Amino acid sequence: MDDQTVRTICYLSRLRLDDEKSKKILSDLDTIIEMIDSLSSTDTENISPLYNPLEETARKFNDEIKSDNNKELFLENAPESDENFFLVPKVVD
Amino acid sequence: MQFKTIKEINFGLVSKKFSVEELIKDTFALINENKVLNCFISLNKENALARAKKIKVSKDSHLLSGIPIAQKDLFCTKGIKTTCGSKMLESFYPPYSSKVEEALNAAGSICIGKTNMDEFAMGSSNETSFFGNVHNPWKKGFVPGGSSGGAACSVAAGLVPAATGTDTGGSIRQPAALCGLTGIKPTYGRISRWGMIAFASSLDQAGPICRTAEDCSILLDAMTGYDSRDTTSLNLDPTNTYADLNKSYENLRIGIVDEFNVDALSKESQTLFNESLKVFESLGASIHKISLPNINQSVPTYYVIAPAECSSNLSRYDGVKFGHRSLEAEDLESLYINSRSEGFGDEVKRRILIGTYVLSAGYYDAYYKKAQQVRRLIKNDFEEAFKDVDLIVSPTSPSEAFEFGSKGTQDPTELYLEDLYTISSNLAGLPALSMPHGFVNGLPVGIQLIGNYLEESMILNFANRFQQSTDFHNAKPTFEGF
Repeated sequence: MDDQTVRTICYLSRLRLDDEKSKKILSDLDTIIEMIDSLSSTDTENISPLYNPLEETARKFNDEIKSDNNKELFLENAPESDENFFLVPKVVD
Repeated sequence: MQFKTIKEINFGLVSKKFSVEELIKDTFALINENKVLNCFISLNKENALARAKKIKVSKDSHLLSGIPIAQKDLFCTKGIKTTCGSKMLESFYPPYSSKVEEALNAAGSICIGKTNMDEFAMGSSNETSFFGNVHNPWKKGFVPGGSSGGAACSVAAGLVPAATGTDTGGSIRQPAALCGLTGIKPTYGRISRWGMIAFASSLDQAGPICRTAEDCSILLDAMTGYDSRDTTSLNLDPTNTYADLNKSYENLRIGIVDEFNVDALSKESQTLFNESLKVFESLGASIHKISLPNINQSVPTYYVIAPAECSSNLSRYDGVKFGHRSLEAEDLESLYINSRSEGFGDEVKRRILIGTYVLSAGYYDAYYKKAQQVRRLIKNDFEEAFKDVDLIVSPTSPSEAFEFGSKGTQDPTELYLEDLYTISSNLAGLPALSMPHGFVNGLPVGIQLIGNYLEESMILNFANRFQQSTDFHNAKPTFEGF
């Protein structure tokens, strides 16, 4: 992975790597990529991807409201909240 | 009460040798005496004792009535802290319970506490937990396996008769093997994932870790069943494996996988494997060589798919609605980045980065799509093999328990190879069990049985018969060095 790719992937992941650790993590990523590169040796022409082991199970259900509004309960776990809202740093001036 | 099975405790409760309250008090005393193992992240003492007072067990009660159970800290438990082994969820109190917790409660069992685990279930040695390493009760300073390391440790040390685990690439079976226990990952979709904190949704599956196959069947039957809240839940009745323990499965054909190359294992491991095959034959089974041509691609396939799903699932941790929030945020973007960078450990970061990489434009086809195509080939290989055999057998893990810090520190893929034998059944969604079958260097090792889809009864029945002919499951840890 070159520096630019690493910067892009870190940003897409919303992660920052500490300077002292980043060298180790980046060398680990290269080792992992080397391992997964071995997949290219398998012939997969005309093989459809298998995204779920039991393909028939991804059922849909009707979009019906089934539970009470547990607003207060859910807000209890919020790092910061105010009445009915999750609080975040200001996003507009 | 230490080292008792569910069946033995149930007998004690029904015959009034002790009460549920005495049992639960004794359990907490045992946990307190064995704190050094670090197998629990939090205890549920007050609630458990209050519940124990209300439970009266008779011969008509469910076999799990009054039984103390340790829940992996990945199952949401209403009002009980649920951390998933991460700083990110250090102070998370779920507003609802998982289906597994609901089901075990309904059966009358008592949640004793939440067990330590690799952070977000990513690891094979329980060394990635924010809450510290868990010791293997067989030897201090040695890993219990992972990611359900605390669960396996709590049962192996005899503190509880049973624990729940989850298995994304071997996280029930490998710790069960390294701690001398029995553990089963059922068919994908058998147990609802509702309220299970997601790692890799197409691979994650819950299951029991116990001392015996018989106890596993009791717990499994209580955990399985359809749940409309999980869209991948199989629309089937709960399993009936306990009743099927007495069923007669004649002339089972058991396959040994050529590509697993058991000859490359240590001499001791090979000897144990061959001796177990002889026991299988004495039980009326026949042994056949089979080939799974694409099985050696399981590890690279898994290390594309699991990180990809993890990078997507863990995007929800942003410091806004729940979980760790950084105090160093100037704007929304830095709130996300700082909260995630402070809240996740190194292994989780590694996997999120790899997952993001394989899903990103330009690499998607070469890695993600390719891995899902190889996954189908692996599944096809199993389907072909199960035309000729009823069960597939392999070692559970390439080696016995190892010392903290001895694997994966220089090269992370060294630790990934711990899951060499277990990963393929997650990719294909097949049920698989590990049970103890001997010792290498004084430490327990396991043998794995993989069955065809929905064949949990056959697997547990055969494991139970193996345990009626052998004594490995009765061995108790020596607590060396403690």
